[in-house]
Amino acid sequence: MIKLEKVGKIFKTQYIEVKALTDINLEVNKGEFVVVKGPSGCGKSTLLLTIGGMLKATTGNIIVNSNRIHKMDERQRAKFRAENIGFVFQMFHLVPYLNLVENVQLPAGTVRNKSLNKLTVIELLKRLHLTERAKHKPLEMSAGEIQRAAIARALIIQPKIILADEPTGNLDPENSVEVIKHLWEFKNDGGTVIMVTHGADADKFADRIVQLRNGTISK
Amino acid sequence: MILKLILKEILHRKLNFLLSLLVITAAVAFFVSFFTTADASKRETIRLTRDMGFNLRIIPNNTNMDRFWTSGFSERTMPEEYVNRFMAYKKFSYAHLTATLQKQIVWKNKRAILIGIASEMEPSGKKKSSMSFKIESGTAYIGYELAKSLALKKNQKIDILGQLFKIAKCLSETGSDDDIRIYAQLSDVQKLLNMEGEINEIKALNCLCLVDENEDPLEMLREQLALVLPDAKVIQNKTIAVARERQRQMMDKYFALIMPFIVIVFAILIGALSMMNVQERKQEIGVLRALGYGSTKIASLFLGKAIIIGLIGAAIGFIIGNGLALSFGPGIFKVTAKTIQPLYKLLVWSLAAAPLFAALSAFIPTMIAITQDPALTLRKE
Repeated sequence: MIKLEKVGKIFKTQYIEVKALTDINLEVNKGEFVVVKGPSGCGKSTLLLTIGGMLKATTGNIIVNSNRIHKMDERQRAKFRAENIGFVFQMFHLVPYLNLVENVQLPAGTVRNKSLNKLTVIELLKRLHLTERAKHKPLEMSAGEIQRAAIARALIIQPKIILADEPTGNLDPENSVEVIKHLWEFKNDGGTVIMVTHGADADKFADRIVQLRNGTISK
Repeated sequence: MILKLILKEILHRKLNFLLSLLVITAAVAFFVSFFTTADASKRETIRLTRDMGFNLRIIPNNTNMDRFWTSGFSERTMPEEYVNRFMAYKKFSYAHLTATLQKQIVWKNKRAILIGIASEMEPSGKKKSSMSFKIESGTAYIGYELAKSLALKKNQKIDILGQLFKIAKCLSETGSDDDIRIYAQLSDVQKLLNMEGEINEIKALNCLCLVDENEDPLEMLREQLALVLPDAKVIQNKTIAVARERQRQMMDKYFALIMPFIVIVFAILIGALSMMNVQERKQEIGVLRALGYGSTKIASLFLGKAIIIGLIGAAIGFIIGNGLALSFGPGIFKVTAKTIQPLYKLLVWSLAAAPLFAALSAFIPTMIAITQDPALTLRKE
C-alpha cells in the first residue's frame, strides 16, 4: 500500500546541504501499524512528512495506494492529503480560535464529503470521550484532550492512513496509552498507521518497528 | 468554511484586526476629508477668482489702445451678433459671456460712464450664478459716487438722456471707476445712444486649462479668435487669469506630492500588520496545509480578511472623513461654506478602493504565507 523506493531528501541552504534521508526503502501494508524510532535528528519527521506529501522527496519514488506522490505537484498533493491522510502532531496544532467541534470539522473545508456532518463529529467525540468538551477551545482543554481532539480531526475524513509525529511526546503515560489505543483501533478498522516516536509506549501495539539512524533504515 | 475561519480569527486576534481597521479607516477618512475639502477649495478658488472680475475682454480690432486704457473701454463698436458667433465656436474655454456697450456721458453736470449689460450666456449650458448685474429693462443701478453726490435713493425715478428709469439699486463703494457708472440693460442703453445692435466689448471668464508651460495661451486664443471674429481682438487680464490657473496648478501639485506619500505610508502599515499576522499564524498555516488546504484557500484567508477590513474601514472612514470636512471645512472656506456637502461618489470609491488597497498591501505577506514550507514550521516543534 505504501512503498518507498530509494527515497532521499536533501535540505539545501545557501551554504550547506543536509542529507535528511538517504536511499530509504520501505513497504507498509494496508492495516499495518508501523512505529518508526530513532534518535533526534535522524530524519523520522522528515520521513513522515515526505510520505504525507508535505515534503517533496529529492530522489526516489513514493507510491501510496498506486498514487505516485513524488510526481505530484503541490496542489495534487494537497488534494491527496485531504482525501487519504490524517496527520497527528506532537504539538497538537489545533486552531486556537475554533472550538473542538469546529477544529474537528476543519478538514471539511478541503473535501466535499456529506458524511462530515455534525452528527458524525458528535459520534467521533463520543468515541474519544470528548463530548463534554465540544464547545471548548484548545486553551480550555488538557493536553490529553487536545491530542485526542487532534486524532478526531485526523479521523473525520475517514482516511486510509494516519501519520502520527510523536503524538505522545507531550502527554503523560496514561494519556499516551489512550492516544495509542485510538490509533490502534483505527488500525483494527482497516486503516494504516505510521507513528514516529522516541518512547517505547507504542511498541506493544506495533506490527513492526523500523529503526532510523542518520537518515537511513538500520533495521 | 473560509469566511467562518476569517471571522473567527478576527474575533480571536482583535488587536491585529483593530489596528488594521484603524489604519484603513484613517486612510479613508484622510482621503475623504481631503477630497471633500479640496472640492470646497476648488469652488472657493473659482468663486474668489471669479469675484476678481472677468479676465477676457474682446474689443473691436480698430480700437485705439491709448484711449482704451485711459478711458477703460473702446470708443469703437462691433455688431452684437459677434456674441452669438463667439458662442457657436466651441474651441474656446470660457464662462460668463457678457456683451456690454459703454459710453462716457455728462449727467446732471457730472461725468459718468453709462454701461449697458446683456444677460450672461453660458456656453457650457450649465446654470451658473451671474458675475455681472442682472438688470431689468427700465431700471438702473447707480454707482456709489454718483448716488452719494446726487443724493439718489433706491426706487427713485431718474431721467437718463431723456428717458425715465427707476433706480433698482444704489451700489456700495468699490474704489474704482465703477463708482461713477450707471448700469442699465444693454437694449435700453443701445436705444438711449441710438446704437441698436452694437456693442463695444464682450467680457468673459477664461481659464488657461489645457495649456502647458511652453505655450502662450493668449497667443493660441488670438489665433482661434481671428478665425471667428476677424474684426475683434482679445485682451487678457493676465494677473487674474494667471492667479486662477496658478491656484489650480498648486492644488494639483499638492495632490500629486502628498498622495503617493500617504498611500505608501498606509500600505506599509497594513503590510506590516499583515506580516505580523502571518508570523503569528505560521503553525496554523502549516496545519491547514497538512489537512489539505491549498494555496488558494490559504491566500483567501489573508486576502479575505484584508477585504473585510477594507470594506468596514471604508464605511467608517467615509463617515469620519465627512465629519472632519463638515466640521473644519466651513471655517476654512468661508465664502463657499454652505456648499460643503458629503460627496457620495467618494463612498463608492472608498468601498471599491479600500478593500483593493488593503488586499494589495497584504499581498506580499500573503505570498510569504502560501510559499512558506509548512513542513519546516511543523518539524520545528
